[in-house]
Amino acid sequence: MWKQPYFVTGFSILAFFLVGSFVYEWILGDVPRQIFYLMENGRAVEGPPISPNWQYPLGTDQYGYDLLGKLMLGAKYTILAALAVAALRMLIAVPLGYILGTYLDKHRKWISSLADSMHYIPLTLFAAYVLRPVLWMPPDGFTSTIWERIGLQVVIMALLTVPIVAILVANEAALLRDKEYILAAKTLGAGRLRIIRKHLYPQMREKIAVLYGQQVMQTFIVFAHLGLLSLFLGGTKVSYEPMLADPPMSISYEWAGLFGSTFRYLQGAPWLPLAPVLFIGLAIFAVSLMMEGYLRSINPKVKVRKKEAAKDPVVEWNREQLRKQMIRVKGNELRNEN
Amino acid sequence: MKLILKFFIAIAGIILASSLPVLISGWLKGEWKWGVYFESIRTTLEELWPINEIAFFNYRAQQPMPLFPNIYEYIIYSLEILFIALLVAVFVSLLLTVITMLLSEKARERVKMALYFLESVPDLLIIMLAQLTVVLFFKQTGILISKIAAVGDDRIYWLPVLCLAILPTIQLYRLAMLTFQEEERQMYVDLARALGFSKVYIVLVHMFRNAIISVFFQSKKTMWFMLSNLFVLELMFNLPGIMLFLRDNMYPSAFLVTVFSFFLPMFVLYSFGEWYFVRRLRGKGAV
Repeated sequence: MWKQPYFVTGFSILAFFLVGSFVYEWILGDVPRQIFYLMENGRAVEGPPISPNWQYPLGTDQYGYDLLGKLMLGAKYTILAALAVAALRMLIAVPLGYILGTYLDKHRKWISSLADSMHYIPLTLFAAYVLRPVLWMPPDGFTSTIWERIGLQVVIMALLTVPIVAILVANEAALLRDKEYILAAKTLGAGRLRIIRKHLYPQMREKIAVLYGQQVMQTFIVFAHLGLLSLFLGGTKVSYEPMLADPPMSISYEWAGLFGSTFRYLQGAPWLPLAPVLFIGLAIFAVSLMMEGYLRSINPKVKVRKKEAAKDPVVEWNREQLRKQMIRVKGNELRNEN
Repeated sequence: MKLILKFFIAIAGIILASSLPVLISGWLKGEWKWGVYFESIRTTLEELWPINEIAFFNYRAQQPMPLFPNIYEYIIYSLEILFIALLVAVFVSLLLTVITMLLSEKARERVKMALYFLESVPDLLIIMLAQLTVVLFFKQTGILISKIAAVGDDRIYWLPVLCLAILPTIQLYRLAMLTFQEEERQMYVDLARALGFSKVYIVLVHMFRNAIISVFFQSKKTMWFMLSNLFVLELMFNLPGIMLFLRDNMYPSAFLVTVFSFFLPMFVLYSFGEWYFVRRLRGKGAV
């Protein structure tokens, strides 16, 4: 796995963001650089939001805070939350799927059509609808701490698509269960639990890993969408002042919040909403690189197939041999039919 | 009969989901509010009953307005955009697939790889880039290709449809490529080739018929993904569609109405497709 260039590249991107985020906070503190105007030849030439330049590669926001700094500070929240959501989802859904696929196989049909109804509810909409009471600040302030809210959000987002993932795993397990070697194991007296542990799980490890990657990517997207609706990771600070109310604000510097609170500036200061979304895209890209690298390390079939094709010698048959072979094949077929 | 049962189970699932926020706000206080949850489901259903009398506060008109028939406009507009985009995505992706299948193995692998990574582009990025491009183009040449936001009762079509169709096209393209390549290993393709049919004919006539079934059954995920995209799209373009309506009215009954407006046409589409393809599969087998 670690020799696959794809995997290593993807891993380094994610690791760079995560390590960079903690190191940045450790060295430079948790407030990004702030600048009120840009000087050139002793004159102020630009006020915030300052467009990208050499000193501030991604420019600054409307209050003069360095955008790159904000993004680096926020990286840990977004990435860790997405990884946690997907991990929790798999932890719940995979055992559930196995149970559905083995113990409750009789009920699989109707449970699967119940879970199927989830496919008609747009995921973002569902997440926004369900998370709103948790994340939107009530007029008299939050009663919960930020970590409670982040925890609750992770749990809820993980639970949202558990039915779909569980059914996916269950169907896959049910397909495998009809294979001969599992029948053989059953005849030899293996219990369901043993079959799950020793046969179904190792067979599906690869698929589960890929599924995990897909869930991480999906979670990133949902975070971004929630940001658009001003529902930020860890809660949205809402100003209820009747006059001069501040726009809803994110409490941490997580990426969805950086995007959600600035997408109105798209035409005036395009770097403000574009940079966070680009970073989210980069994170998703890193995950898909890792998935591809992982798959290639497990079954490097692209190369093997070519080698086999090259090795496979052309067999020259003479007539006599051919007839023998044909008779043998025919005999096999007859035997199979009986 | 089975279909009707499936229909009701799906409806039950959606109704159970519609009152979830009540349950979750209970979690915040560390308790399970099952009683309130079922109470909320009951009142929601009761509210829905005389379906013509539901009224919501209309954000744009600044007064409560009856839901029907005003909501039809929103629903129809959203569905129009969704289904035009779907048609475009299906058509373009199948066309590209057929073309790619005629290329060499090496080129195909490259295309598949590129598609795989293109899938990781966030939909928001596409929408924002599209809007920026239109404005930039307008500034440079003075020609407005399309409006980038709807004001009042405006209807804009082609730019939103384009933005909505790009990612599903990529997804379906990759999906179709995988299915077609799977299909290519079947015996009947070898047979057809041995009989001297041209590659174009085999791909278009024989493989297409069989692969399309598999693509159809796997397209549900793409459809689901498109629904989320549509939601974001309506927000970014300020389109007067059903999703924007829901954002202003986050109540269980509005949620139900919104979800049902997608559920009905999609359920019909998928049930019909399933029925048709299954019948064809049983009737003839691989063609």
